[in-house]
Amino acid sequence: MCKALTHNIGVHFTLALLAALWGGLPALAAPVVKTEHVEAELVTEKASAQPGKPATVGLKLRMAEHWHTYWKNPGDSGLPTKIDWVLPEGWKAGDIQWPYPRPLPIGPLMNYGYEDEVVLLSELTPPANAKPGSHAVKAKAEWLVCKDVCIPEKGELDLTLQVAAAEPVANPRYQAHIERARNMLPVAPTGWKFDSAVQAGKLVVRLVPPPGSKAPDQVAFFPEREQLIEPAAPQKVSREGDGVRIEMKLADPPPAALQVVKGVAVSDDGWPSIAKKAIEVDAPVNASMAAAPAAATRPAAGDIAGSTATALLFALVGGILLNLMPCVFPVLGIKVLGFVEHAHGEARALRTQGWAFFAGTLLSFLALAGLMLALRAGGTQLGWGFQLQSPVVVSMLAALFFVLALNLSGVFEWGAFAQSMTANLSARGRYADAFLSGVVASVAATPCTAPFMGAAVGFTLTQSAGLAMAVFAVLGIGMALPVLLLSHFPALMKKLPRPGRWMETFKQVLAFPLFATVAWLAWVLGAQAGNDAVLALLAGLILVAMAAWMFGKWEHAAAPWRAAVAVILAATGLAVAWPGPAAAPSTAGIASAAPGELAWEEWSPEKVASYTRQGHAVFVDFTAAWCVTCQVNKRIALHNEAVVREFGSRGVVALRADWTRQDPRITATLAALGRNAVPVYALYLPGEAAPRLLPEVLTPSIVLAGLADVKPATDHLSGLAPSPERTPR
Amino acid sequence: MKAPIALAVAALFAAAALANAPAGKPAPAFTVSDLDGKPVHLADYKGKTVVLEWTNFGCPFVQKHYRSGNMQALQKKYANDVVWLAVNSTNKASADWTDAKALTAQLDDFGAKPARYLVDEPGTVGMAYGARTTPHMFIVDPKGTVVYNGAIDDKRSTSVDDVKSSKNYVVAALDELKAGKSVSTATTTPYGCSVKYR
Repeated sequence: MCKALTHNIGVHFTLALLAALWGGLPALAAPVVKTEHVEAELVTEKASAQPGKPATVGLKLRMAEHWHTYWKNPGDSGLPTKIDWVLPEGWKAGDIQWPYPRPLPIGPLMNYGYEDEVVLLSELTPPANAKPGSHAVKAKAEWLVCKDVCIPEKGELDLTLQVAAAEPVANPRYQAHIERARNMLPVAPTGWKFDSAVQAGKLVVRLVPPPGSKAPDQVAFFPEREQLIEPAAPQKVSREGDGVRIEMKLADPPPAALQVVKGVAVSDDGWPSIAKKAIEVDAPVNASMAAAPAAATRPAAGDIAGSTATALLFALVGGILLNLMPCVFPVLGIKVLGFVEHAHGEARALRTQGWAFFAGTLLSFLALAGLMLALRAGGTQLGWGFQLQSPVVVSMLAALFFVLALNLSGVFEWGAFAQSMTANLSARGRYADAFLSGVVASVAATPCTAPFMGAAVGFTLTQSAGLAMAVFAVLGIGMALPVLLLSHFPALMKKLPRPGRWMETFKQVLAFPLFATVAWLAWVLGAQAGNDAVLALLAGLILVAMAAWMFGKWEHAAAPWRAAVAVILAATGLAVAWPGPAAAPSTAGIASAAPGELAWEEWSPEKVASYTRQGHAVFVDFTAAWCVTCQVNKRIALHNEAVVREFGSRGVVALRADWTRQDPRITATLAALGRNAVPVYALYLPGEAAPRLLPEVLTPSIVLAGLADVKPATDHLSGLAPSPERTPR
Repeated sequence: MKAPIALAVAALFAAAALANAPAGKPAPAFTVSDLDGKPVHLADYKGKTVVLEWTNFGCPFVQKHYRSGNMQALQKKYANDVVWLAVNSTNKASADWTDAKALTAQLDDFGAKPARYLVDEPGTVGMAYGARTTPHMFIVDPKGTVVYNGAIDDKRSTSVDDVKSSKNYVVAALDELKAGKSVSTATTTPYGCSVKYR
């Protein structure tokens, strides 16, 4: 003990002697403050500081074994270390430059901090007129040091800094410590792209490297903001191309109005062309970020689990159910009638017909899906049902259904013009016909897909193109399956009624769902392109009807002009019906509010944000005129008296996002919700980052149950409700 | 219905993840013994406002609020309006573990007056509520809904001097409830030592 003391005195004496000899030599050693668990000391990078130029100093904390101090975000508990500088007149101190932390699990909780040793660097800048010589600086530091128990400690640390005009030289004594600290400072990497999103209770941060480099496989993310994530919940890291995607459990309640996620990403393997283990991440929230391949779990009830197998199963069942939809059933009905007619014919020919229908359906689905994926890949924001967002497609579909309906009503027979579905045909013609009915059925089916397929199609569109195509293929297979089975088991067919006069009547009855489809398409067109477009369509349909009538009337006349005139008439009709490119969009029919109905406002993401900030719950109806389910839900659930009353009493703002025409913002928002089809009903509650999704098929009680969690806004609809202050810091 | 299930699950996986009791959600039900070994059911206090205070006298952040007299003052101030339950989820192996006799003595020394002092040694209640720190404060309204979850005040420190100049969130919330208003600041970040779970 005595010896050690003598030795220490000896060292100090020698240093003092050296200092005296070298005159202006800086004080290299500052007093060490020793507390029960920490040795604290101020360290300098350079031997002197130049006037007006920042000099780096560090607070070195050496913790007792297994004790730790905290990062700027301490995690579930704890306290960041604090430094108050006491500086000579005119000096300035910068913020603490925090080295990246390490995760410190304690039981079910998680802290972010440092064990063993940490050097917290700060920049001290003497004024430009600082006099050369010694200047005393002091750091009042406070830290919380914890192991099993926590001890708040503090120390006043003194340092004498030399100011000199000369270029400073390194201070070898602390070089290793400073260097280690510098190596642990996160760097802002160049060329990287960061974004983030809140998806189904998860915070997703995506790190995409510049072209030609690859992000590391294992990454840990430390958010700057507290109560953003559950620090103890495991982070899920997955590759996304060359980039990496980190999924974290969001805190409950999640932060309101999250716009950017800042933090530090750490990889033990380092980062390409960066000699550090940690990078600074500044990831703006990206509403259109696609859901993760394997993590498509969504909050809505009755949703798909998100696995590929489930999506495929849903697609199959959905495809089979499509056969019953009003837009498909007539086409199928006719097909089955054809089978009935030939049921007693050649089994093999029947089977081939079944396969032809199957091929027609499958190829159409793949073609539609392929087209959509190609357009999406080209950057166009499209979703399922996109075909119906074009007035031209709507008009032409209306004309097609109209012609089919006229045919079923018996206005005309296809005859040799195209192979009749029921007439006596050559085998080859029948195959072509079967194939064509598959195509027609598929095209007709798309508007009816949403109710069954919303989730599955949404899931699909976030997948690799291959898997997306697989899902659409299975959807087509499902739809073609009943007809295919029927063609393979003539025994089943025997159960169907024998062919006879009833078939003619049945066929005529089937015309009416098709006429209804035409009426609906006309209404859709009205919403898209206005009243004038509807008039043009109807006028065009009259010409088409004349063409059909003529074709049928003189069917047996064998007059060569018959077909020619019919074709000219039909072509003129289509030309008349073709909506002009300048057709004015008018959504008045959709967004209007009658008394006793909800006062819908037009949706925008800004409105959602501003209303929720004001403390209002916001209900968004993602809808489209061409979406049948949407219209049914509107009538049954959203116009319900009790529902309207509840919206009013709880101050819920009703916004309508109308996807009747293409709208990239809506497509992007749907994608962020993991959907790609309408209807989607989203309830945004103040203080919850992600909306709650209601099922796609609504009843008044479902809506009321959804609204049950809404706290009545204090000052409803006036927009003056005070915004609730959350997590003040 | 959900809460007991959550609690049962939490009990089964005591070492598993923390649950949560965010503001606006039903308060998880619990049954736990107090210092005298008598069972306390949250359900017994239905119709009353309940304050849950996670505590551990070994923690300097808790000491800040007891040395300053802050916590005791609140317990007394609201004694007629609310049921104040102090909850200690410290496990037996922790250096902060204190037995019932010593705890009673400490409570006396501080003049603390919680209605009941709950000994949650397995940490079941703490895990069900997602209590992270000592102190960590929860307020449950008479309907059984959590209306506040967070810190005691806005000065994150262990310094007794900070108590006077800080905004006390629990006081603000209780006063709002008393005035028939809803709690304007319902969620804050709790600060303190980690709860010493098993």
